[in-house]
Amino acid sequence: MRIWLSIILVILIAGLCSLSAFAAAERTAEQLPAFELPVPGEEVHRTYLGLDGSSGTFNVADIKADIVLIELFSMYCPFCQEEAPLINELFELMNDLPESGPSVKIIGIGASNSEFEVNHFRTTYNVEFPMFPDQDMAIYKALSGAGTPGFIGVRLSEGEDPLIILRQSGGFHSKDDFLGQLIEFAEQ
Amino acid sequence: MKPGNRVAFLAALFLLFFMYGQVSGAESSLRDSIYDMGPLKPIDSVLRVAPGEPAPDFTLPAISGKKVSLSSLKGRNVVISFVPAAWTPVCSDQWPGYGISRNFFEENDAVLLGITVDNLPTLHAWVNQMGNIWFEVLSDFWPHGEVASSYGLLRSDGTSERALIFIDREGIISDIYVSDINVRPPLEYIVTQLQKMK
Repeated sequence: MRIWLSIILVILIAGLCSLSAFAAAERTAEQLPAFELPVPGEEVHRTYLGLDGSSGTFNVADIKADIVLIELFSMYCPFCQEEAPLINELFELMNDLPESGPSVKIIGIGASNSEFEVNHFRTTYNVEFPMFPDQDMAIYKALSGAGTPGFIGVRLSEGEDPLIILRQSGGFHSKDDFLGQLIEFAEQ
Repeated sequence: MKPGNRVAFLAALFLLFFMYGQVSGAESSLRDSIYDMGPLKPIDSVLRVAPGEPAPDFTLPAISGKKVSLSSLKGRNVVISFVPAAWTPVCSDQWPGYGISRNFFEENDAVLLGITVDNLPTLHAWVNQMGNIWFEVLSDFWPHGEVASSYGLLRSDGTSERALIFIDREGIISDIYVSDINVRPPLEYIVTQLQKMK
């Protein structure tokens, strides 16, 4: 009896380990490639990103945050659709972080999506954070995207170039764990 | 193994499979199952229909089990989305977008029909994997590609073009969009055409 219980326990533990491996983010340290984004037309988005709107474009380093998470998505991607409510929850969680710790903000890049398609995705899922079209996939390619949804965590430090500290291809399954990991990678 | 232990063992296995299914099943299955044929000749057929002409009628089996005739939809606007083949990259990223765009069709009293030259079991598996496909998906498998051919959309390799056919309430073609097979037509094109048909 004990032997079988042990075997069952080992199977469960092995299963859980491989399960967490599937969802694991990759720690990295790469310079963020240069690309520009249009300054959002909506004031709420400009305020969120800390942009004054004096220029027509901005880059990730201009965002007022310690960490920026870039979500690579597509309106057409069924897994991005499934993941959208969870990412909205992640956005809320980021907003609720204590002021004593690092600030984390999120933007979405719609790979091969037009502005209309990005806006349709935003409206459908009530996405409150800024999302940008990347119809020719120039940004996706510059970031070496590997499928959607995908995530790229960027650390912003004064006097340093923006540094990619996290990559994840595919969705995450716990917003708390994912955000914790993002912050942990940025702190090292 | 004693019966009680056997039950516990099977329960553990079931739990594991259930967890895998929840976390990674659909996402990894669809991704891993896509067959990428690489860049293809953008357009490989010659249209046999034109805007202003009556749309050729057809009756095709749907994965819902119904037989769908174009003529039975007279009185409503119809959009036909031909896609080249199941389990291919661009196609697998096209209809899921329509999955969240039902409102545009309903607001303009339009019926969307998806057609490929694949057989019903293949379409059934593919559509299930994509999920959220609310419109009728029809098989133009046999006689192979007969409907695609009647519209001039059958390619030389037996797949169809990536094309949208807009048909008004009278059964007249109002617009045709044959896309580069490697590129998805933009959603705003569909919405603009739907609004014209209203």
